[in-house]
Amino acid sequence: MKKIEVTLNNVREEILEFYDAKKWHFLTLNGVALEDEKTEIQWIFSQYEAFDEIVIMFAEIACGDVVPSIVDIVPSAIISQREFVDMFGIEVDGSEKGLYLDQDSLQMPLSSCKV
Amino acid sequence: MKKTIDIPLGSQHISLLEPVRFKFECENEKIIGVDSDVGFVHRGIEHACTTKFKFDGIGYVVARICGLCAITHSLTYTAGIEKLLGGEITQKAKYLRILLLELDRIHSHMLCLSHTCENAGFEAMFMRIMGDREIIMEIQELLTGNRVQFDFISIGGVNRDLDASRAKEIIIKLEIVKQKVLGYIDVFTNNWSLSLKFQGVGALSLDEAYRFNAIGPLARASGLNIDVRNEIDYLPFFELGFVMQTHTDGDINARNLVRLNEILNSLEMCNNTLEGLPEGDIFTKLKGKPKGEVLVRLEAPRGELMYYIKGGGKSMLERVRIKTPTFSSIPAFSHIFVGENYADAPAILASFDPCLACTAK
Repeated sequence: MKKIEVTLNNVREEILEFYDAKKWHFLTLNGVALEDEKTEIQWIFSQYEAFDEIVIMFAEIACGDVVPSIVDIVPSAIISQREFVDMFGIEVDGSEKGLYLDQDSLQMPLSSCKV
Repeated sequence: MKKTIDIPLGSQHISLLEPVRFKFECENEKIIGVDSDVGFVHRGIEHACTTKFKFDGIGYVVARICGLCAITHSLTYTAGIEKLLGGEITQKAKYLRILLLELDRIHSHMLCLSHTCENAGFEAMFMRIMGDREIIMEIQELLTGNRVQFDFISIGGVNRDLDASRAKEIIIKLEIVKQKVLGYIDVFTNNWSLSLKFQGVGALSLDEAYRFNAIGPLARASGLNIDVRNEIDYLPFFELGFVMQTHTDGDINARNLVRLNEILNSLEMCNNTLEGLPEGDIFTKLKGKPKGEVLVRLEAPRGELMYYIKGGGKSMLERVRIKTPTFSSIPAFSHIFVGENYADAPAILASFDPCLACTAK
C-alpha cells in the first residue's frame, strides 16, 4: 500500500496524470476523522491483475474546505463522493447531499467537525 | 424535443426484493436517463464499529451486513485485523475459510440465476434452482451449525473443525450440485427464454466496463479481467484451482454464463479443499491490539469487497470503512439502463444481482 500526499489544490492534476483507466481501478473515496476537526480524505486505487498494488492519494482537510470533484476524470467516483458528503458533511464540488442519509436521520455521523 | 415521462422502479416493486428506487426518464419505451436512490435503510454499521463494539467482536457485527455474503464480510474484516496484529493462521484454517467463501459464492449465484429465470417468466426453473440451492445451505449447516448467519470466522482461524466423515458427506452433496449446474448450463444455453431473449440486452462493453470501474461478474461478462482472488495472496486460491471466468458479450446472457461457470469452478475448489484438507489446528491465538492502517480486499459474489481499518493500539478502532460491490457498481448500472427498453429494466436489474443490504450498510 503506497500513500501519496496531495493537496486539494493539486489533487485533480495528480489524479489526471496518474490515472489510466485500463491500468488502475478506482476503489473508493474514503475519509478518516482526525483530531482538531481535521479529516484525512483518501482517493484509493488498485492496479488490475497485480498482487495488492494499492495507491492511496490523501490530503488533510478542514471542515469548511471544498473538495474538488474528480468525476470528469473517474466517472464512477460520483457515488462515493456523494456518500462522503453525507457521512462527513464536507462539501464535494457538484455532489448533492442526501443519497445515503434521510433528512431526519443523524447527519454526518463520521465527521469530526463540531457543527 | 420529444415528450418524456418519468417511471419509477421501486422502492417497492414486484421485480425487486430490496429497497432501492430507480427513476427512469423514458421517451416512449426507451430509457434515456436514470436516477437512483439507495438510502432507504441505512444502518450506521461503520459508525457502530468505532463507537459500540471492540475490535474482536466486529467480525460478528459485519457478518450481519448481508445474509448472502456474511462469510465474505467477516473474513475480509478478520484478515485486516490479522494483518495489523501480525499473525499467521494455519493452513487448515485458510482452507476452511476458502471452503465457506466459495459456498457463499455458489448459493449467491444460484439465487441470482433463479431470479433471472423468474424475470423471464420461467417460474419452473426459478423453483428448481431455489430447491437445489438448499443442498448448499445444508452443507453450510453441516460445516458451521447454521444455514445463514454462521459466525464461523474468528480472529486467528475458524470456530469449528471438520472431520473426515462430514467431509465425505459434503463431497457427495457437491457432486449432486455439480450435475444440477451442468443441467442449468444446458437450459441457459439452449432455452429461448433464457438465452436468445437476453442476448444483446443490457450490454456493457469492455471500454465502458473500464470507464465505470465495473467489478464482479458484471465486469467479467464484458471481458474485464478483474477478480480479487487473482490479486491477493493471503489465501491460497490458485493452489485450490481458482480460474477466472470471463465472457465478451457483456449482456444478460453473458452474465448468466459467467455465473454458471463460476459455480462450477467454485465447486471444484470446494472439492479440492476437502480432498486436500491439511491436518493441524484450526485456530492460532493472536495477541495484542490493532495498530496502524490496513486495506484488505476479497472477491464477494457480486465483486470486490474492501475494508479499510485503522487502529490506534486500543480495543476500539478509529475507522472501519466498508466498500461493498453493489454500491460502487451503481454508476455502471445506471449507464447500462440508458438506451434499453423500460420493459427489460427488471431483467437487467436482476442480472446485476444487486445487494441493498450490503449497500445500505
